[in-house]
Amino acid sequence: MEQWAFLSQIFQIFIAFCLFTTLYGKGNPLRSWAEYSYLAAGTAMSVMWAWTYIRNHAVIGLQAGELIWIPAIILGLMMWFRIYPKYSYISRIPIAFTIGIGMAWTIRTQIFTQFISQISATIVPLFDQGPMWLFERTVIAVGIITMMSFFLYTMEIKGPHLWSATFGEYFMYLAFGAVFAGTFMGRLGLFVGHMQSYMFPVWKQPYTIGIALLVFVVMLALERTGWGAKLSA
Amino acid sequence: MGKEGVNLLKLMATYDKRWGYLLLFILVLLPMIKPIGMPISVSELTKEYYEQLQTLEEGDIVLDSWSTEYSGYMELKPGMIATHKYFIKNGIKIFICLGHPEGLALVGALLEDELKGYMEAYDYTYGEDYIILGFALPNQAATLAMATDFQGSVKVDWKGDSIKGTFLDRVETGADIDMIADFTTAAGNPGLINHIVLTFGTPMIQNQIGVSLPGSYMNLDAGLITGLLASTRGGSELELLIKEPGPGLIAMDAFTLGHYLLIILIVIGNIGFFGWTKKVSEEMESTTIR
Repeated sequence: MEQWAFLSQIFQIFIAFCLFTTLYGKGNPLRSWAEYSYLAAGTAMSVMWAWTYIRNHAVIGLQAGELIWIPAIILGLMMWFRIYPKYSYISRIPIAFTIGIGMAWTIRTQIFTQFISQISATIVPLFDQGPMWLFERTVIAVGIITMMSFFLYTMEIKGPHLWSATFGEYFMYLAFGAVFAGTFMGRLGLFVGHMQSYMFPVWKQPYTIGIALLVFVVMLALERTGWGAKLSA
Repeated sequence: MGKEGVNLLKLMATYDKRWGYLLLFILVLLPMIKPIGMPISVSELTKEYYEQLQTLEEGDIVLDSWSTEYSGYMELKPGMIATHKYFIKNGIKIFICLGHPEGLALVGALLEDELKGYMEAYDYTYGEDYIILGFALPNQAATLAMATDFQGSVKVDWKGDSIKGTFLDRVETGADIDMIADFTTAAGNPGLINHIVLTFGTPMIQNQIGVSLPGSYMNLDAGLITGLLASTRGGSELELLIKEPGPGLIAMDAFTLGHYLLIILIVIGNIGFFGWTKKVSEEMESTTIR
């Protein structure tokens, strides 16, 4: 069992570095193999979990005498006609059902979470929580108004409107910069997290560095010999 | 000298970007082999998240939503470990609901690999203190069903064993859940806010990946979530607050060096652009026969 765990860890590191070879920018069979293996495993896992969900709810519910699951199962089965062009129109019924339900709860909830709550959070008293609060809320309020003025397309932008739109444009640049910084931080977090899982516990470190070098050398050899592009999918 | 200067500017503008990847690999790996121990501070955001955790009392029930795939877990890992250590240490009862099929891998990665010893130390046992419901929150319909009729919609755990006789007997609707802890990538499961927070007023804390933080900040500002832990950085800060050093603090050296590298590359790229690329394109424009 321990040997199996060890081998699976080594395999995990190897397949990860095979995927990293995509950064080199040239096709090679290691990357193709790792990518397709990941897709296959992910698909298998999704199918397995979907079935588990059906079993835990519909099958067990039916066994407990809950007949309400029968129409749900029939609607679910009708969805399968999607893959048979001659009768694919049958699948429109469960799709319409799903869209109807989705619309209902979207109207009921999203209007609060995405609209009213956000507006309420913007229109707040400015002067009752100190100078930092005043500064932050002023920036938000001015930013929203000027940025919205940038998106008024049905009139000629000139005079004070032009100043406001320009101001809004620069606000957006600042926002893009902040979003990019957050994105880099997040992506670096993913990368560092992955590297940590290959470097710790400490016994993994020589294997990780060895595998990284091995994959790098194999990738270069495949590229130099021209086999990389030929064998990649 | 002048020619060398121009060549240097050209190099700054046209160097092979793959050197950047290689440097990043080296800068991330080196501090893991030989840690530097750079100091970090705790942000107000993480303090607020921690304060929210402290509102929980022993025996309280938390809906523990893992709406993340395995790759996202790598970023959320420090926050997930630190938050769950807090739950375990303080006797908070959790039921884990996966919102992504890959969550299956997290059960082993988090509970078995990272927290097993900790759970044994605090006698935190399955069925009594925590339950894994599996892929129970695939969409909003499932969340709505769970929020309005918990006993009717959830009968078994992830292995198909009945949940009768466990602490989940106390949960009838979303009103019986004391807090939602959402560990999520991207939008996560909007049903949690739409059908539990909005309807029952249940407080919700969130550990979010860096890319999706702007959306979560909006929800925090609007009061839809009450605490936000930002990416790996937030997780490492929480480790400091609960005095349980873990992977987040180890990652901070690599994190800091990675950010320095980006700043340096941005500066180099801009010098290269204004010193070479822009000049060359202006020269080409001026010599073009119109």
